[in-house]
Amino acid sequence: MNTLETLQDILIEEFNLTRERVAPDAELAALGVDSLDLLELMFKIEDRYKLAIRDDAPNDLTTVRDVVRFIDRLLAAQQKAPGSGGADRHASS
Amino acid sequence: MSTRRVAVTGLGVVAPLGHSIEELCANLAAGRSGIRKLDIPLWEALRSPIGASAGFRGDAHFDAPRLRMLDRVSQMALVAAAQAVADANLDLGIEDRDRCGVSVGSGMGGAESTDEGYHIIYAERSDRVKPYTVLTSMTNAAASWIGIEYGITGPNLTYSTACSSGAVAVGEAARRIKSGDVDVMLAGGAEAPLTFGVLRAWEAMRTIASPDPQDPSASCRPFARNRTGLVLGEGAAFVALEEWDHATARGARIHAELTGYGLTTDTAHITRPTVAGQAGAMRAALRSAGLDHGAVDYVNAHGTATLQNDAVETAAIKEVFGARAYALPVSSTKSMHGHLLGAAGALEFVIAVASMERGIVPPTMHLDLPDPACDLDYVPERARTGVNLSAVMSNSFAFGGTNAVLIAEARGARR
Repeated sequence: MNTLETLQDILIEEFNLTRERVAPDAELAALGVDSLDLLELMFKIEDRYKLAIRDDAPNDLTTVRDVVRFIDRLLAAQQKAPGSGGADRHASS
Repeated sequence: MSTRRVAVTGLGVVAPLGHSIEELCANLAAGRSGIRKLDIPLWEALRSPIGASAGFRGDAHFDAPRLRMLDRVSQMALVAAAQAVADANLDLGIEDRDRCGVSVGSGMGGAESTDEGYHIIYAERSDRVKPYTVLTSMTNAAASWIGIEYGITGPNLTYSTACSSGAVAVGEAARRIKSGDVDVMLAGGAEAPLTFGVLRAWEAMRTIASPDPQDPSASCRPFARNRTGLVLGEGAAFVALEEWDHATARGARIHAELTGYGLTTDTAHITRPTVAGQAGAMRAALRSAGLDHGAVDYVNAHGTATLQNDAVETAAIKEVFGARAYALPVSSTKSMHGHLLGAAGALEFVIAVASMERGIVPPTMHLDLPDPACDLDYVPERARTGVNLSAVMSNSFAFGGTNAVLIAEARGARR
């Protein structure tokens, strides 16, 4: 499953959305995902993608595609620097 | 003083003995207890792993995005308030909602969210505190969500006076209607204290009952010689209160008239009740109702089953009612639904009103060993039916000392 599909699954589950609504161009605000929801969404993303998000999400994430790019960027950075991943950072969760 | 009167037009409950008034009343009349062994996380580490769960499932009422925003306490409050609105047949969409308000009592607010947040910070040593933690745990969240649900733009108030919070919320709401500020109030109490952290803190005070080894459901024994303390319960109870003419003009059914509300404060000690303080609150309620003590037909006691409260409350009732105290039915329904803390006063007021409507005096269960210091008619073990009740009193006392007493009367009630 690619980054987009996984993110779409999370959005469908957590925000009671249909697959049609979570198209790449869909705006998060229109999906009912506000700034606090986005913070919580980052926890789910950390868990699903085994990522560590060091800082809060950038505030220029407007669409579903923006979030996909953000995740892909983190995944690429993590592969370059093994051992700095998220799995051990949140061992208990 | 104005002559505005307060009608109780709607009742709603999410309680250990029922998620509707009918179910609750049937269980109380049958003397059933909602107290059980708890199976919450870490229960093995509790000295007294008992409580009265409401058996409430938030996901049966709210979808995932909504649940993220709502602590259990707000979920139960919203469902109980919705019942009260439906029972009152109240369409808030056509009301002047600047003249409507919300009044909620809660001792601890979103205790589960607080507990969970601390677990994440201190136990998991994680920085993943949920972004909604402030909003789910704040004490006024339940009241706010009810206001948002119905677009109620008048006063939105939360009272936190520990175990009398729910009674204070109902009493203060009635005062706002009487004063002319508002015509409709959704008033009640909500509490969700059955988390490990909260239970452990109550245990540390040595106020929690020891589990009955044979029958955990019989662990709360108000007024009994072998009482060992209170049992915590969870839930929410709400009333729709309306200015009398407002209610009659729209042809509303009226359960009862809320006529009396008395408030005093004990200052001797943070936990220790006084006879004078409790008696003073009962007298103040009678005075505000314009009633002689002889008019009261039933007292729903605070009756926590702690050593202190039950003896002091008994003495206070004797002081107020004199010789008649011995002929007055007084019962503690906490023996069945446990102590709902900030929701207790609201739940017990609802029970008093619903009992009056049905002509039923609910019993004090598990009272087979009377305490010589508690020698009133506590309606032991068995409900009384077919009783004509025209005025009922509901007592709520609290750590911190706020004593609140409510009186409802059947006069003018219309089905």
